[in-house]
Amino acid sequence: MVKETYLHDKHVNLGARMVDFAGWHMPVQYSSIIEEHKTVRENVGLFDVSHMGEVFVSGKDATEFLNKLVPQDITKLDYEKAVYCQLPNKNGGLIDDLIIYKLGINSYLVICNASRIDEDLNWIVRNKRGMDVKIDNQSHNYSLLAVQGPRAIDLMRKMGYSIENQKSFTIKPTIIEGIKLLASRTGYTGEDGFELLVENEYSEFLWDKILEEGKEFGIKPIGLGARDTLRLEAALHLYGNDLDEDTTPIEAGLSWSVPKDKKADYNGKEIIMSQIANGTSKKLVGLVMLDKNIARHGYDVYFNGEKTGVITSGCVSPTTGKNIALAYVKNDKEICTGATVQVMIREKLHDAQVVKRPFIEKRNRV
Amino acid sequence: MSYTEKILCTKSHEYVLKGEPCIVGLTDYAIEQLGDIVFLELPSVGDEFKKGETFANIESVKAASEIYMPVSGKIVEVNNALVDAPESLNEDCYENGWLVKVEGVNDEDFTDLLTYADYKEELE
Repeated sequence: MVKETYLHDKHVNLGARMVDFAGWHMPVQYSSIIEEHKTVRENVGLFDVSHMGEVFVSGKDATEFLNKLVPQDITKLDYEKAVYCQLPNKNGGLIDDLIIYKLGINSYLVICNASRIDEDLNWIVRNKRGMDVKIDNQSHNYSLLAVQGPRAIDLMRKMGYSIENQKSFTIKPTIIEGIKLLASRTGYTGEDGFELLVENEYSEFLWDKILEEGKEFGIKPIGLGARDTLRLEAALHLYGNDLDEDTTPIEAGLSWSVPKDKKADYNGKEIIMSQIANGTSKKLVGLVMLDKNIARHGYDVYFNGEKTGVITSGCVSPTTGKNIALAYVKNDKEICTGATVQVMIREKLHDAQVVKRPFIEKRNRV
Repeated sequence: MSYTEKILCTKSHEYVLKGEPCIVGLTDYAIEQLGDIVFLELPSVGDEFKKGETFANIESVKAASEIYMPVSGKIVEVNNALVDAPESLNEDCYENGWLVKVEGVNDEDFTDLLTYADYKEELE
């Protein structure tokens, strides 16, 4: 059965076009993807991302336990800090990508993709083996609202939230408009903003309040369509498109997130470390099409007349007007920034240039 | 008589306005479902297509779709202005938003097409 978030009726009443996404009936757009996209880049947008998974991990061994699940060093994570993580299998391929928040000494919140929650939980529980940890999937009890855009700060301030002490990638328990919630300065748009984790029963009130208070800042509700174009401009990976169980974080261009000096063992460590030292056979690149054609997920990529890889995500960039894409190609020195490759679109090859990622300047680091 | 009262539609959302030449385009319902149109590829004048063949490609922000010929015939004019500004289809897919003009159309090709009113009913 298709699931609905607590805000489902709000979306329908706002005239959203609803689609099935990862087992959830979600709004893909309210007005226009391009308009919604620009609202987030220029003002502020409100997203319902309650389909995402929330798993609380606590107990005496919680730190050690999470530390053996991810390449990132959880022992170095400070209280109220967040870290972008991956969940590798034994071969270094990714079961999911996650954000892990430290809520207390032995208490963590793991946010995972809606489409992967079952696989994640299976894997996490399988790795528990005698450790003193409690794994508490609270996905069904929480709603997640994202407030994203350059005016998100103004809106949060207006709603009485003091953001002065809160840098990006931190989380704080707080009370906004009388509602207890966890406010995290994170997002999936490349913009500054907040993700607000709130118990389901308060989500409708909070949704309405944010839209009302945000009017003066030009707020609009934003669907999954614009969420996808926003994240792609920021070159943020989408699990299922750009990440899968056959792709390691190193191949995915996520080396920046993988510590080289982590002492503890974790799943896939040997392969991941060997790829850092010796290189990979494939790599992720950013592409800009040199004509009007749009590269889409699954299209083949050619270099010097030979197939070299495949497009994993592609769209028109509403901000730059260029047609952008992410692709996996052979790890060939010649396929570097500035090089020209070809994308097979409707049985014809179209030139694309390899460019640096992200495709826009990110403004979310504060 | 409004534009939509004059056209005949396919279940795959193309329309044809009978005449010499016939005018072919995509219905407002199709455009609305696609959302923001960002790419359009049209055939060349002189190309011939059979009813049901792909003659054009359209893309919205989200997805790529093929457009099928509602009738068999020869392309005598294409709306090149739309190729340069495909987003204008979101404003008007009829008067200025037609895609191609076709000649040599056989009357038999119209028999299975729907009036706009019937087409809208089929959608519900």
